[in-house]
Amino acid sequence: MIDKIRQVLAASGADAWEIRDHQETGWEFYLIGHRLDQHRVKKIHDVNLTVYRRTDDGKMLGNASGSIHVTSTDEEIKKVVETLMERALLARNPLYTLNQPDGEKAVAETGDDELSCEENAKAFLLAIRDVPETKTEDLNSVEIFTSMCNDRYMNSEGVDVSSRYPSSMVEAVVNARQTDGAGEKEIELYRMYHSGTCDQEGIKKQLQQVMEYGRDKLRAVQTPALGAFPVIFSTDAALEIYHFFLDRLSAGYIYRRYSDWTPGKMVMENEKGEKLTMKAVPMLPNSSRNTRYDREGAPIREMVLIENNTVRNNWGSRQQSQYIGLDQSFIVSNVEVAKGSQSSGTIRSGDYLEIVEFSDFQVDSITGDIAGEIRLGYLHRDGKTVPVSGGSVSGNLAELSRTMQFSRERTQYNNFLIPSLTRLEGVSITQG
Amino acid sequence: MSELSRKGREQPAPFSTYLESVADGVSQLIRLLSEHYDYVSVLSTDSAGFRAVISQKQKSLSSETMTTERGHVVRVCSSGLYAEVAFNDFDPSGVQTLAAWIKEQLDRQLSVLKACQIRPYVTELLEDAPLQLVSEMPTGQLPETADLSQLIDKMVSLTDLAMEKGKDMLDCQVQAQSTHISKMFQTEHRDLRQSYVYSEGNLTVVVSRDGNTQMAYKGLADRKGPEIFEGFPDLLDETLSISQDLLRAEKVVPGEYDIITTPEVSGLIAHEAFGHGVEMDMFVKGRALGAEYIDKRVGSDLVSMHEGANTVVNVASYAFDDEGTLASDVLEIDRGILRNGICDALSAKRLGVAPTGNGKRENYAHKVYTRMTNTIFDSGDSTLEEMIASISHGYLLSGMHSGMEDPKHWGIQCIIERGYEIQDGRLTGKVISPVIMTGYVPDLLQSISMVSRDREVFGTGGCGKGHKEWVKVSDGGPCLKARAKLG
Repeated sequence: MIDKIRQVLAASGADAWEIRDHQETGWEFYLIGHRLDQHRVKKIHDVNLTVYRRTDDGKMLGNASGSIHVTSTDEEIKKVVETLMERALLARNPLYTLNQPDGEKAVAETGDDELSCEENAKAFLLAIRDVPETKTEDLNSVEIFTSMCNDRYMNSEGVDVSSRYPSSMVEAVVNARQTDGAGEKEIELYRMYHSGTCDQEGIKKQLQQVMEYGRDKLRAVQTPALGAFPVIFSTDAALEIYHFFLDRLSAGYIYRRYSDWTPGKMVMENEKGEKLTMKAVPMLPNSSRNTRYDREGAPIREMVLIENNTVRNNWGSRQQSQYIGLDQSFIVSNVEVAKGSQSSGTIRSGDYLEIVEFSDFQVDSITGDIAGEIRLGYLHRDGKTVPVSGGSVSGNLAELSRTMQFSRERTQYNNFLIPSLTRLEGVSITQG
Repeated sequence: MSELSRKGREQPAPFSTYLESVADGVSQLIRLLSEHYDYVSVLSTDSAGFRAVISQKQKSLSSETMTTERGHVVRVCSSGLYAEVAFNDFDPSGVQTLAAWIKEQLDRQLSVLKACQIRPYVTELLEDAPLQLVSEMPTGQLPETADLSQLIDKMVSLTDLAMEKGKDMLDCQVQAQSTHISKMFQTEHRDLRQSYVYSEGNLTVVVSRDGNTQMAYKGLADRKGPEIFEGFPDLLDETLSISQDLLRAEKVVPGEYDIITTPEVSGLIAHEAFGHGVEMDMFVKGRALGAEYIDKRVGSDLVSMHEGANTVVNVASYAFDDEGTLASDVLEIDRGILRNGICDALSAKRLGVAPTGNGKRENYAHKVYTRMTNTIFDSGDSTLEEMIASISHGYLLSGMHSGMEDPKHWGIQCIIERGYEIQDGRLTGKVISPVIMTGYVPDLLQSISMVSRDREVFGTGGCGKGHKEWVKVSDGGPCLKARAKLG
């Protein structure tokens, strides 16, 4: 099919084109408790085409994109290309060029996708089966998704690269319960884990930790009105904080003037003396984003983004990168944040609220506003620790980052390696 | 704009010719698989559309939207265990091979399950009473034949006008997307076919002053064709005004306040509180407190709420769901009493109730869950003016960012764009933003003390289940006066 599309494109008069081919084999298992609700197989093949046309004066480049269904006949492929060619000049942008071949000869990886899914799914099922449950803490339900993906990217400049990678996701709901004079009380905690393949020990360890949180949530009291208070983020909610920095470095944000974080700019003037260093890396162990090329065929390499609070490099798509004058860039897939200067013990000193479960913690990368309902936190005050629930956090990260501290110890959440603890002072806490 | 839509006439949205062409092959596949399984159904989809994003900075045009797709999903049941296979390379001339491959794949999974000693959750067979339906719902234009050149010219002009009229402008973006949905559900005895068009768009302005950058947004959506985008210019002045409100907004002093929710925020509460709260697949898992509150009070007498594809006509209104259950209109809360939940077909079997037509998939490659369609509070008999006059100190809350459900504990998180201060029965002009509303759902609904006469429905949003499985929904209602914690 790809050959046919290329033939039609060659005769179309398109000034440039891109083809993205995504094939995915997936195995899924849905468990209620430890019983199988459903099992599923998916085998999908998606082809996306973008065609480009220059305006007569050569200053603008129009584009239109769309799917070509894998069952398309030759005539249907021609029709899609004709439609995209007609539409390509409707959405015009200042001229830019597509990625060029990087000189390396790309070697397509092959393998038995179904066997990979089978082995990976089995590892997840066994990990879930062996999670150490108790009479009062157990798994309510689990959804397991495992896929093997084969991506190929081609463009009119001669780029033809492919990536083969596993991608997995587990959604787990944990219950904890207690019975007292008022009857039985049951609570739940929610977790979603993304990875390449199954890390059996990691999954078991993390779910065991969640069960401990469950025990504490049962005895949690309502979050008191704390006013402006130190907050420690010790779960994947902290990713939102580091995404804020990553987003504001993107060429898209710079080009749209949502951010002015260009090389040499300070991202924060930290009163605590903490220095943030963040870099893009091509691979992280067992990340589901371990591809050698981005979705536009640009090679992914190691690149320092922020060094000691100062912007070193922006990143982004080919189009937006060129608009802000970046010659060679790429879309970041894996990110590594450098270790902080202090131990976890030091970060966890004095009074603070450590929040381990939010409804949905969010940081608005444009405004910097943070928001999230507290489902479980540990209030450390006056030498005592009390589990709390309810209420919310708010504030603005652009201001709060002045007091940001992060630990020497680090934790990997799929495609982000970040400090295990991130502390912000003066977060506004609403009563539960 | 075509002659057809200028006159305001509508035409039936034609059913997919691709699906027509493969229908017999799908029937043959069902017959072959029925030799091995107790129940077989196939949902086939073919949905086309366009998405145009036009801003001062960047322009793009795609034939893909959130819901464009072409594919098939086979559901089978054997000895009470349900399984599915999703694929998109269906060849009607190779049905025999496909049937053998499906069985081989599922048998392979069963071997793994056996090796891991996983027991099945046995469920009764789904109904398969004979039913035929063809529903081609009326629309003005079709996305496939809309005049995109004219539409994009208008969108470009509108962003130009916004930059000219607005203050502190960084950019203005207009987004338009329209999708022509075709779905076919077949079993041995059923053949249901539907096609309809829905469209949605939004106008976003980004403003910045002294390092304070804010984004304001207004949207439009309906189960109509691209003709709805004629309404874009009507959004401009209000969006520009909101952007200035956001620039001068202050932070709220955390605390509990009297509030009035505008219809968009009322819809968010409806959605997060007793939309997700009564999705009955969560009852099966023991994940929803609502299961214990049927026929019990969960809100004040002024609170009534409906949910269903037939409740109103909007982006989530269809003839049948992704399991072949006909659409309905469910009364969830009747004058404060929780009456009914919503249910997909498999969960209904497990709970011994009737399905409500709420079994939805993100697309053919995803599993069915119980999902919302249109979730709406009923109207009351107050006016907004009366509601404002009744408050000594509080906020009129408007615009939504996001929400998060918590059916197990009935918590709620709503991130609201802005609040307008009310002091001694009058709006003071002071604005707060953003506003995080949290609380215990029954407390919030019990506190509703006034409900306005008019109501609005909003269909620009998407809905996830937990943090995934995105589907189109609409929600809305009248203005509500309540008491809530704001942060």
